[in-house]
Amino acid sequence: MFDTAKTETKLELDGVTSGYGPIAIIKDLSLSIRKGEIFALMGKNGMGKTTLLKTILGLVSARSGEIQLDGRSIVGASPKALIKSGVGYAPQEQPLFTDLSIQDNLRLAIRSDRDLGAALEHVFTHFPFLRDRLAQQAGTLSGGEQKMLILSRALMLKPDLILIDEISEGLQPTVIAQIAKALQAEQAENGTTILLVEQNLNFALDVADRWAVLKLGEIDDSGIADADSRERVLEHLKI
Amino acid sequence: MTLLLDIVTTAAILFIVSAGLLAIFGVLEIVNFAHGAWLTVGAYCAVVTGGLGLSPWLALPLAFVAGAVLGGVTERLIVRPLYSRPQDAILATWGLGIIIGQLITLGFGRDVQFTENLLSGTIHILGTDYSLYRLFALAAAVAIGLGFALLLEGTRLGLSARAVIMNQSLARALGLDTTRIRFVTFMIGTGLTALAGVLLTPLTSVDPTMGVAWLIGSFMLVMVAGSSFGALAVACLVFGGAQVLVSTFISPILGGITVAVLSALVLRISSKGFARV
Repeated sequence: MFDTAKTETKLELDGVTSGYGPIAIIKDLSLSIRKGEIFALMGKNGMGKTTLLKTILGLVSARSGEIQLDGRSIVGASPKALIKSGVGYAPQEQPLFTDLSIQDNLRLAIRSDRDLGAALEHVFTHFPFLRDRLAQQAGTLSGGEQKMLILSRALMLKPDLILIDEISEGLQPTVIAQIAKALQAEQAENGTTILLVEQNLNFALDVADRWAVLKLGEIDDSGIADADSRERVLEHLKI
Repeated sequence: MTLLLDIVTTAAILFIVSAGLLAIFGVLEIVNFAHGAWLTVGAYCAVVTGGLGLSPWLALPLAFVAGAVLGGVTERLIVRPLYSRPQDAILATWGLGIIIGQLITLGFGRDVQFTENLLSGTIHILGTDYSLYRLFALAAAVAIGLGFALLLEGTRLGLSARAVIMNQSLARALGLDTTRIRFVTFMIGTGLTALAGVLLTPLTSVDPTMGVAWLIGSFMLVMVAGSSFGALAVACLVFGGAQVLVSTFISPILGGITVAVLSALVLRISSKGFARV
């Protein structure tokens, strides 16, 4: 739950607008995420959640506004620069190189093979099944295993901030529980900040310290993840 | 037996000539229509080394370096701004090919140039006397194929290039420097193509338009192969074999269009060609 000690800002968005072509998807959005917290960003389909993550990572250009990571502006920074500075990303769309092996998918997260052994050992602590299946083609994994591989790849560099896009989509509860455990362990052991984009209300509120609901590119509501959150968020997610 | 050797060595020559084009097409998803010009640049490197009285073998590294450097400049100034407009890139590289051809004409004239053979003579193999140079070309094709396999499967650059081929958006999202990967790939592709130009010199006349004849065949083979070197090898063997058979038993003129016709037929049947190989 929310730790009042987590007061230092990790990621700050101030009046950010972004989108594709002439269409603005994110509109004048402001959001502050504290160091070491898990922040759940929820919303219905098409509300701009994925676009927001892509804007933070520099895959979609911010048209206006300011984005700061650890107090430094990252507007215009390349994904390469951001990942080098400690940002991990677990995408939702076409998230794996399905023709490559598990090991090669994981290797692509690091810059030098000298770091491979230590990075692999780190992800094996969360998902030990990967250890004996490194040579297996990623596309042959089950849906749940693929999601664990996507998260493992984002964790390879022990990032300070992880952007996670709908990791629980289509997964059975036991797999979701494993993923939740891994995220909480990263937060507790490494002080990792996590921005979790989700539609799975139970999973998101179970692991998050704070939450916000995105509606048509704007923050519609936000709060601390507590016993009352579920009903409030549910109201926003009703069709 | 000579026919079999002709088939295999023709396939090898087609592979050598097309490999650079495939490397660029596979990673950059752009067809470098200046491919023929780079073959010509390489061949003229052999003319230059011959003119300077140097060993003809020195033309190989010279061509690779010259082709790669020119390729790097071309990628940075002409191709890079056109990645999102592949049709414009075709026009731009076609135009560049014409410019390179004209510059070569300015420098060396229109006349056919003669170069010293890298290897001459025959060797007795499989019960027949066969061109030593064509067998060397076969070995060169195998070396190039193995070199690419090693590069793609055994190095980080190769892994990154494969990632870019499979899913460029994801590669970028993971922080891979797709700009650098494309740049290096273009340089390798053009360097290799210029090197192929040197290897062609004992087999074809060297003049400023020599590359054009090879461009169409290479283009068709690459379209059939997709981004797979394995598929390219198979396409070269099948179509090169057909070319030799048609040339030998029907007509050398028809043999000259065999690769293009068969490629078009295969692509008509399956848009992926041999890409699953």
